[in-house]
Amino acid sequence: MPEAGAPEPIARLVQEFSKLPGIGPKSAQRLAYHVLRAPEDDARALARALADVKERIVFCGTCFNITERDPCGLCESDNRDRTLVCVVEQPLDVLVVERTGGFRGLYHVLHGALNPIDGVGPEQLRIQELLGRVEAGDVAEVIMATNPSLEGEATSMYVQRLLQPLGVRVTRLARGLPSGADLEYMDDLTLSRALEGRQEL
Amino acid sequence: MAARPRVYRAEGVILRRRNLGEADSILTVFSGSEGKFDAIAKGVRKARSRMRGHLEPLTRSRVLVAHGRTLDVFTQAETVESYRRLREDLEASAEALYCLELVDRFTEEREPIPELYALLVASLALLQEGAGPSVTRFFELRLLALLGYEPHVEGCVLCGGRLPEEEALLSPAAGGLACRQCRPEAGAGRIVSVAVIKLLRFARRATAPEFAAMRVPGDAAGELRTAVGELIRYHLDRDPNARRFVEGVGALGREEPSPPSAPDSPL
Repeated sequence: MPEAGAPEPIARLVQEFSKLPGIGPKSAQRLAYHVLRAPEDDARALARALADVKERIVFCGTCFNITERDPCGLCESDNRDRTLVCVVEQPLDVLVVERTGGFRGLYHVLHGALNPIDGVGPEQLRIQELLGRVEAGDVAEVIMATNPSLEGEATSMYVQRLLQPLGVRVTRLARGLPSGADLEYMDDLTLSRALEGRQEL
Repeated sequence: MAARPRVYRAEGVILRRRNLGEADSILTVFSGSEGKFDAIAKGVRKARSRMRGHLEPLTRSRVLVAHGRTLDVFTQAETVESYRRLREDLEASAEALYCLELVDRFTEEREPIPELYALLVASLALLQEGAGPSVTRFFELRLLALLGYEPHVEGCVLCGGRLPEEEALLSPAAGGLACRQCRPEAGAGRIVSVAVIKLLRFARRATAPEFAAMRVPGDAAGELRTAVGELIRYHLDRDPNARRFVEGVGALGREEPSPPSAPDSPL
């Protein structure tokens, strides 16, 4: 919301900030005046970072993760198990799985999950590309690591159905109790699956 | 001051979720007592949220909601039915999502329609038992009836005359079946077979389980789906988004005759 009276450049900056998710008109104003007061170098660094993110980031042609060069470092690496592919919804999910340090395979980013009611169908996701990778050989196991939500589950089942004829092993992340949770407030679905997936102490 | 209560209770099915800010979601609930309403679930996207699993779309939950300035806020939520077997079946969840979208699109906020809520709950239970797409047909037809859009199928909608036992025109604009003589005035529509006419009539007097248990030959089932789909499109002025998903999933083909579930009619 450009305020009346503010000089045009600042009004424009407020306007741009307010397009960001979670930024209302007041926050946008505060951010814009902060940039105005900040040292010129800081402002330039911000501008450069914004431009770079659009100019230098591309999608990896194999896993569709975000990267500076195609193919990405993960897909090119010699230390990864190329027979394992972990399928996630978003590029951020790759970082989260990597942070665990427990996965040495490759990734595939779908860029979303099926959401039939909002009209997100299979053709908007990188599902065909995943089929292509599996058809090309090498892959022995596909790990579905989509969110344990209605949309994520539907996506997993859908992808599993497509992969089945290719004879590849398809697995799903286990579902259970999050650490630090309170049993009293756990929903039936999570608790019943946690019971089924119980393990020897 | 006779202030209105600060909170209210409702039991309903979560229809959809939209994310809000960092960790909140806006959920749309369809309940028997309040009708459809939106409320904010604060912090529900955090791993440790106490309400998270209880406010997933396609869950039936009991909720406690506080009045807010713009939007109401969930303060407690407890699952009544998580529809686990339904979620674990791709075909059944597609049908269920389609039903949820119909409810969302056909209803107005805060207009309770207890019969529609009962119909939804009964239909989800049947889908979960593996009853198949005929549940959805029954759901569509009853939903239209409950909202005052029931097609007239017992006689000709225009002249009121009896329909001979032959195919007839089903015209959404005219609001039902038209006999051979009235066809020119009935507007656009689709010629439906005797089998479909019988199914449309049966849906009026059957219960959901009775209708779902009917064995319908594949071509009649397809014809009924198209015909009812056109009624829906006419009253909604669009096709529901989830219909494409139902069709897409149908095109995949089942890998095996559906798991343990009932001896469902192969629609």
